[in-house]
Amino acid sequence: MRGHKDLRLTAAAAAVSALLALVLPVPWLSMLVAAPLFFLLPGYALASIAFARRPRGLAPLLGLTLGLSLSVLVLGSLVLNYAPGGLRAVPWALFLALVTLLACRGAALRRGRTRPLPLPRLRRPRLSGAVVLSAAGAALGIAAIAIAFVTFDAPDAIGYTELWMQPAPASEAVSIGVGSQEQEDTRYRLEIERARTSRTLSRSLSLDPGESDVLRIPIPGGPATRPERVIATLYKADSPGRPYRRVNAWIGTEGAGG
Amino acid sequence: MTVRATSGEVEAPAAADRGRTSSFLPVAFVATGAGLMLVSVANALARAGEGTSPVIAWIGMLVMALPIFYRLISRDATIGERLALVCLLGIGLYGVKVLRDAPFFTFGDELIHTQNANQIGVHHHLFHENSILKVTPYYPGVEGAVSALTSITGISIYAAGTIVIGVARVLLMVTLFILFRRVSGSARVAGLGTALYATNFNFMFQGAQFAYEPLALPLLLMVMMAVAERESESGSQLRDWSAPILLGIAAIVVTHHLTSYATVIVLAVLSLLGWFVNRTWRPPNPWRFAVFAAVLAAFWLFVVASSTVGYLTPVLSNAFDAIGNTVQGEKAPRGLFQGSSAAAGETPFPARILGVGGVLLLLLALPFGLRQVWTHFRRRPFAIIFCLSAIGFFGTLALRLTPPAWETGNRASEFLFIGLAFVLAFTVLWAMSRWSESTRTKALLTGAFGVVLLGSTISGWPWDLQLTRPLEVGAKDGGTIVSQPLASAEWTAEELPDGRFATATADADLMLAVGGQTVIAGPYPNVEDILSNPKLEPWQTELLREEDLRYLVADRRVASTDVMRGYYFATKGESAGGPLLQKRILTKYLKLPRASRIYTNGSISIYDLEARK
Repeated sequence: MRGHKDLRLTAAAAAVSALLALVLPVPWLSMLVAAPLFFLLPGYALASIAFARRPRGLAPLLGLTLGLSLSVLVLGSLVLNYAPGGLRAVPWALFLALVTLLACRGAALRRGRTRPLPLPRLRRPRLSGAVVLSAAGAALGIAAIAIAFVTFDAPDAIGYTELWMQPAPASEAVSIGVGSQEQEDTRYRLEIERARTSRTLSRSLSLDPGESDVLRIPIPGGPATRPERVIATLYKADSPGRPYRRVNAWIGTEGAGG
Repeated sequence: MTVRATSGEVEAPAAADRGRTSSFLPVAFVATGAGLMLVSVANALARAGEGTSPVIAWIGMLVMALPIFYRLISRDATIGERLALVCLLGIGLYGVKVLRDAPFFTFGDELIHTQNANQIGVHHHLFHENSILKVTPYYPGVEGAVSALTSITGISIYAAGTIVIGVARVLLMVTLFILFRRVSGSARVAGLGTALYATNFNFMFQGAQFAYEPLALPLLLMVMMAVAERESESGSQLRDWSAPILLGIAAIVVTHHLTSYATVIVLAVLSLLGWFVNRTWRPPNPWRFAVFAAVLAAFWLFVVASSTVGYLTPVLSNAFDAIGNTVQGEKAPRGLFQGSSAAAGETPFPARILGVGGVLLLLLALPFGLRQVWTHFRRRPFAIIFCLSAIGFFGTLALRLTPPAWETGNRASEFLFIGLAFVLAFTVLWAMSRWSESTRTKALLTGAFGVVLLGSTISGWPWDLQLTRPLEVGAKDGGTIVSQPLASAEWTAEELPDGRFATATADADLMLAVGGQTVIAGPYPNVEDILSNPKLEPWQTELLREEDLRYLVADRRVASTDVMRGYYFATKGESAGGPLLQKRILTKYLKLPRASRIYTNGSISIYDLEARK
């Protein structure tokens, strides 16, 4: 690739990008480093092979670079699907880097000793009104995205509570879960009843919004010898006489109830 | 009066290209940032239940789009500036969808594709089953691309999907600009046409979702751009374009069925028109690419994704039947702005006026643009195909009058609007040449663009869903709480991994993408009736057994069958979350021998039918 600075830079960037993306432990940082490897470098290298002898204008080159890079991602998944290792991090990084390197090599061979492509000259940005405005626009855009990720209070959203029950394998106990998605801190009373014997047990608990608790409760009256229904009823402390949630499961039979 | 859209007359002056004209880009940057901020605030208010009117978001959209369009009308913008402006417009309007939903995917199709991406992440291979839309794993382009990002960097599927579709959106704007420029010879037409494409019904929401078409359509535009660029070449240089075109076609075929058929049609029509105009099949006639696309699409359809036939046939045949029934008067036409769901809100009268007004403006503008294009470009195959598709677009509007054909018309409009956008750009130039290039004319045209943009947003997406709804919110006493459907899906992921569920369609999407479950929903097989009938019939219990459905999700909310509205919190002031089913419909399962209700959150209960077996 001697004499073709753009191709050398592309190949080097692909190798470095692939390596850094794999070793960086922070996903977003890794994404930032790998972005050119996903969306620019393979496409640029392939476009360079296709138009080795007569370079295209900047706009079609941009279209081809983006489009071919996306095509490589799409078709690459098909190639890796049948390759050892499948669609994992290392095969993907190797594949993208290899496609870029090979395409750069191919482009250099096709170009031969023709005049190398001039690299676009980047002007050093000066602190002008335009730069300040652009930075302000970018800052507003970033702030807009940040707001979208903030969880706001929604007092009108109607809260609720989850109740679930799973018999333990030996049917000596049941696991009962209560999850509060209520707007306020809530106190509950949980009643477990064995249908056939009418024996009951009760527990009290209190949960903050978003909190859940799983209680492992022995079945009242011991293990069942015959299939029998166990019912869990949840009451809110502020309306103790009104069942709020009810679930049930079968005990005394293999695999019953969950 | 006619306008010449040649490089000499309409193109930015050479002096401008050398940078003498001050760039408008920084102003557009600020406008886009401010517009996004307004959209974000409107959605934040909607999430908090403080405001559901989309007016603030619409103002945000106009703040982004109008200055850009105003600048694109003018003569003195450079090519580079025009390209940058349309890219900024594409990204800004993509932000409307992203800011609405972050940090979740909330469209039905997005959840289906999320599950496909999940499966690739777990198994490290393609083509794993999707129990809701069986055809999707066989078109794994978008999920395959996403798997590269998630596996190498470790970012979430949501983040990776949003980035991939965002890059595809930039590709769409760039390739459309270059395509229009090549065909018209004018950067001004290219800029205007590309900006006008942003007024198609699906640009804002449906076309920006994490699904296969929003990736495949930009790839189709890349192929069209390459074919158009190739037309201007001669001799051995023609061959240079072959590899990019073939790669693009292959990527489309792997990504989306309908777009691959559209690719075949576009290339075939271009070939025929090329022959008709030039009386030769010799290059640059693209017939070889048309054959390649047809063979590859047919191979993929019959060898890899044969279930596509069974998936698409009923959609298309129902659409044709419905059109026939409506034309013969056997069925009443669908009312405009009428949602398919009982939970859909009514579109207010002013919004209806905007929606209809936008379409009328497009219709009114069409003949002027058609005349210009026909006068100057009727010997160019691309221009002819654009004219045909511009007229065809209005044909698809008729499909919106029958419910089963609505989706077909809606999907087709996204493709046909490419031609309409090109033609309308000439209408704008014609208007400028007729009424003088005064500030008033520019402002008038920009205003019309704004009406069409808002009108298409209203026509393309339900009124009550223009803004987001509460899905995950902060509670009064602190902490974060999630909606009932989301909570039940998360519960199944933890407690019942690898379960098989009969469920309503909206719950099914979340059970699939969040819960990672196998779900059966809807009428085929008829789970719908099991969930909505007051009594269980013997054939229904037999069906549950046949399909090996151990778990059944009973949801009291009528919205549970609405794949657009069924995921969110019930809020005060909407009669506790909309209409509810009768209680006995949900408790009927307890009459089954040894059935257990193992989970409930009030509206949603999960029954375990295993012991019954």
